[in-house]
Amino acid sequence: MLNKKLSYLQIALNGTLSEAEGIIGLLPASDRILVEAGTSFIKAYGIQGISIIDRLWSYKLGKKGYIVADLKCMDRGFTEVIAAKESGAQAATCLGLAPIQTIDLFIEKCKELNIDSMIDMMNVEFPFEILEKLKQIPNIVVLHRGVEESEMSNKEIPYLQIHKILETYNVLISIAGGETFKEVRGAIFNDANIAVVWKAFSENPLQTAKLAKTFLREVR
Amino acid sequence: MILERRKKYLQIALNSDLIEAGKIIRNLPFSDQIIIEAGTPLIKTCGVRAISRIKEIALERFSNEEIKREYIKTFPSLMKFLVAGNSTSRQTMIDYLAKKGKSSSFEPYVVADIKCNDLARKEIAIISGVQAATCLGVAPIETIDSFIEECKHSHIDSMIDMMNVENPLLVLKKLKQAPDVVILHRGVDETEIDKEKQIPYYQIRQIKGNYNVLVSIAGGDTIEEVERAFFNDADIVVVWKSFYRSTEETAKLAQRFYEKLKISVVSTA
Repeated sequence: MLNKKLSYLQIALNGTLSEAEGIIGLLPASDRILVEAGTSFIKAYGIQGISIIDRLWSYKLGKKGYIVADLKCMDRGFTEVIAAKESGAQAATCLGLAPIQTIDLFIEKCKELNIDSMIDMMNVEFPFEILEKLKQIPNIVVLHRGVEESEMSNKEIPYLQIHKILETYNVLISIAGGETFKEVRGAIFNDANIAVVWKAFSENPLQTAKLAKTFLREVR
Repeated sequence: MILERRKKYLQIALNSDLIEAGKIIRNLPFSDQIIIEAGTPLIKTCGVRAISRIKEIALERFSNEEIKREYIKTFPSLMKFLVAGNSTSRQTMIDYLAKKGKSSSFEPYVVADIKCNDLARKEIAIISGVQAATCLGVAPIETIDSFIEECKHSHIDSMIDMMNVENPLLVLKKLKQAPDVVILHRGVDETEIDKEKQIPYYQIRQIKGNYNVLVSIAGGDTIEEVERAFFNDADIVVVWKSFYRSTEETAKLAQRFYEKLKISVVSTA
């Protein structure tokens, strides 16, 4: 569903529903902006929360928007994907550290329901080893530096992994864990297709709305 | 820690929907050794509303029972009216007990199976009224540390779910402080696809030998598996499949599990 030749900015929403509404209102309307219902948001509001985000973003765009349900599925691959699809999401995430059977079921179900499968490699040292074990590859691989990891250690965004994965697999790469425009541009410059930001939006929505506009103007 | 070290617990995971969850809770036997879990699929579907609703139903179910028991104990001569189905209301019983200086203090133990993987502080902040929450053992160590600290701060039990962790001891060694409960887990998808995959019973004693924690076993669903887990020194056994779809048999199943649980407690005491 996403175009490999384009780069995307994914805005993760992890605050309250009213904050989400405010942020969506500030975002520039563009196909290159993906809106994510973050894991904490989903845990707080359930699939109903995803549906509301979907309605708000689609209204803003004037057509169906691309919503990512960051389920971080760890078990029961089937049921969670069905719930995400019903809520209007175009993509859902599964943890790379989930049992291989779960990831396989997750990808299979995503394909069947025609939504993009994203495998989140947070805390996976060698994403390659996970991909090798799968029956079929996902649409998107998310390379991730967790929030606590980035706050408490000097862990770097794993740019090095991008080429290694792209050389072997026909997937899109999403980089999560950066927050500044410099980091977003760095990710795209290093061949990522999607850069995910969240923190700046919850701390300073106006500033990040500006980041989104700069992204659309300066990054293709 | 809210749970008691010398007791054995049966944890009922509720994963279907809130109506089914309500039916199951209302059919559970009354005991402080029953733990009610708001399962991950339910939380992801309904949000934190699922947790508060489950807590409400459980409170209603168990505190009613406790009030009734206390009432009968305090006013034994009135028991025949209750047994005969007399419609003595909950409020009447509470009022009578209050006059005698007694009240109901029983609080059901509810676990929010949030399977935290990041943003621990935020996730603990959105759940309220529960006695425990879960974090994934595969999460970054910084997240698990932060999760345990937040649980301590919020006076709830921390449970680390070791699903897909080959050696839980290696994770525990890296932590700043040990959690209250370690869950040894065999996932639903794993179980269904790989029938040979075993519940790692041998790890129970390994962990308890090194850390002062309770061990919970998840992934079995037959009475035999529950018994085997307790026999192997587990403190908590989590069951779900038998309860996933509520049937008229649910109460019987819970009762049977509970009877076995009592046997386990006696045999390990």
